[in-house]
Amino acid sequence: MTVAAEPEALLSHLHKADGSATYSYAGYTVIGAVNGPIEAQKRDELPEEAIIDVVVRPAAGVGGTRERHLESLLQSTLRQIILVNNFPRTLIQIILQITVAPENEYINGKLVQANVNLPVVPALLQAAILSLLSASIPLTATLTSTSLAIISEDGQRRTVTNPTARQVEQSQSFHVLAFTSQSELILAESEGAFTMKEWDDVYSAAQKQCCTTTTVDDTDTIMDEGRSTDMPDLKRFIRSTVEQKTASDLYWK
Amino acid sequence: MATQSSLTLSSATFAKLSPHPYLLANLQPTDASTPSSRTNGRQPTQARPPAINTSSLTHAHGSAVVRTGDTTAVCGVRAETLTTSQIPNYRAPLSSISTSSITASTDELRYYDLLVPNIELATGCAPNFLPGVPPTTLAQTLSTRIYSLLHSARILEAADLRIYHEKSHNIGEGDEAMQDAEGGDVDVGGDAREVKAYWVLYIDILFISLDGNPFDAAWAAVLAALRDTKLPRARWDADREMVLCSRGEAPVPLSITGFPIACTAAVFTAKDRLKQSQSRRDGGEVGSFWILVDPDRFEESLCDESVTVVVDRSEAGAETKILGLEKSGGTVVGPEVIRRFVQVAEGRWQEFRDAF
Repeated sequence: MTVAAEPEALLSHLHKADGSATYSYAGYTVIGAVNGPIEAQKRDELPEEAIIDVVVRPAAGVGGTRERHLESLLQSTLRQIILVNNFPRTLIQIILQITVAPENEYINGKLVQANVNLPVVPALLQAAILSLLSASIPLTATLTSTSLAIISEDGQRRTVTNPTARQVEQSQSFHVLAFTSQSELILAESEGAFTMKEWDDVYSAAQKQCCTTTTVDDTDTIMDEGRSTDMPDLKRFIRSTVEQKTASDLYWK
Repeated sequence: MATQSSLTLSSATFAKLSPHPYLLANLQPTDASTPSSRTNGRQPTQARPPAINTSSLTHAHGSAVVRTGDTTAVCGVRAETLTTSQIPNYRAPLSSISTSSITASTDELRYYDLLVPNIELATGCAPNFLPGVPPTTLAQTLSTRIYSLLHSARILEAADLRIYHEKSHNIGEGDEAMQDAEGGDVDVGGDAREVKAYWVLYIDILFISLDGNPFDAAWAAVLAALRDTKLPRARWDADREMVLCSRGEAPVPLSITGFPIACTAAVFTAKDRLKQSQSRRDGGEVGSFWILVDPDRFEESLCDESVTVVVDRSEAGAETKILGLEKSGGTVVGPEVIRRFVQVAEGRWQEFRDAF
């Protein structure tokens, strides 16, 4: 199964939702829809800020405990970047539907899984960010997120970014990191056995992918020599997607 | 209520009316003579000492009660048999000699759901967890995290949970035993054993009282209960086609590899999110923050961000192994803070090691 080498996104394709986006990368495709700020239930509303409600639906079956865990992770992350104090006593609803997930044909797949589903978190976060941008919800920053695995081959340990499902299964440890557009670490989830030194290597590899190290001038794009050509620049991707959408919307103006 | 001057409040009233400034005033006292501390009297890196009691439940195969301050968790491990005929898509393990790697062992634990942890919070342990309510998001999240850590930490061996059918007396019959089409594993040594059933461990964690930091207590309770678990010796009886346990022989303890311990901290910031991001954009500092290790319910309600690290220092002489790292809810904690927190977690590991 060929894995998409470049991320792809489609903005504002759902007409009934306030904002929507479909994001695909590394075998995952997630459709996100955002509604908000809308009226909240009286028993849930907060007097000084908006409530963020995240709903995650898996590719197959109805959500179980692992989706609740993903929802609580995303809710605590997105609450930090959405300007909730602008909309007291309202609800901002973010719905994420996973439509495609990479299959690992070697494992005994079950429909109902109880363990944490970390590999899908970067795709969920990116889809959520693009949906929020499409819905014009005020944000303090955008997020970029990536996943890495430490695989041991012939006694050597090496770090792999965006590992395939098979590589995740065989890895010593698997890590997901998310950074804000101000290059701060907002989410770090790791499982497996590793040392602090390995985590530092993972952190610097993730930072290199998520946070651009060179400034992009409007007239002259500087190519970063240190960046390997096969790692897409996620921050620039979000920016260019929204730029294209805005340009096509303003075409008749 | 005692008469008070209209301008002064008792500290309990102050805590109820404005909790955030109350905790801030404790951590950052205005006059230099008062020492800074948390509202419960602890230092920011001081955790509550754990107390562990094992084998308290009579009808469970293993049990433990863990108390850290006012957070008390009871864990009971009960083993039930599951025959391989009841497992859909069952595949016999490739070889009974452990040439199979660790991943093959965890595959059995994962594929056949041999470990079933469950966390029950709706026991009246805290005012917002009254009994009779369906599991809240917190309970479901904790169950998922405990399940994940139980498998990724690889503390249990699937071989301990297998129940064999000894076919050694059949070897004399020649072909039939060796060419068992069911996939019975034939040992190089010669005694044919076939896995006919598994022990499934039902790990139930109940919270008697909850005063913050449920994950650390739940994980310690699971680890203590598993170390205490002893399974009866069991074999498959071909005539009655069921698992028979031996009453005379002593029960077998599980083999636990490693000693992972979880340590959680909440991050308390002086300024709220919005003012922090504004000050950062203007080139100012992050603003003062405190890492409160082992937070209680009051502190958890005031903190957005939390960090959890699971460390294992049981291998003498080797570097500290980290078996899990979770950080979410804010941008204050960066790699340097995580590094310092891992050192605090190492100290916490030693506290739990001594308490066991």
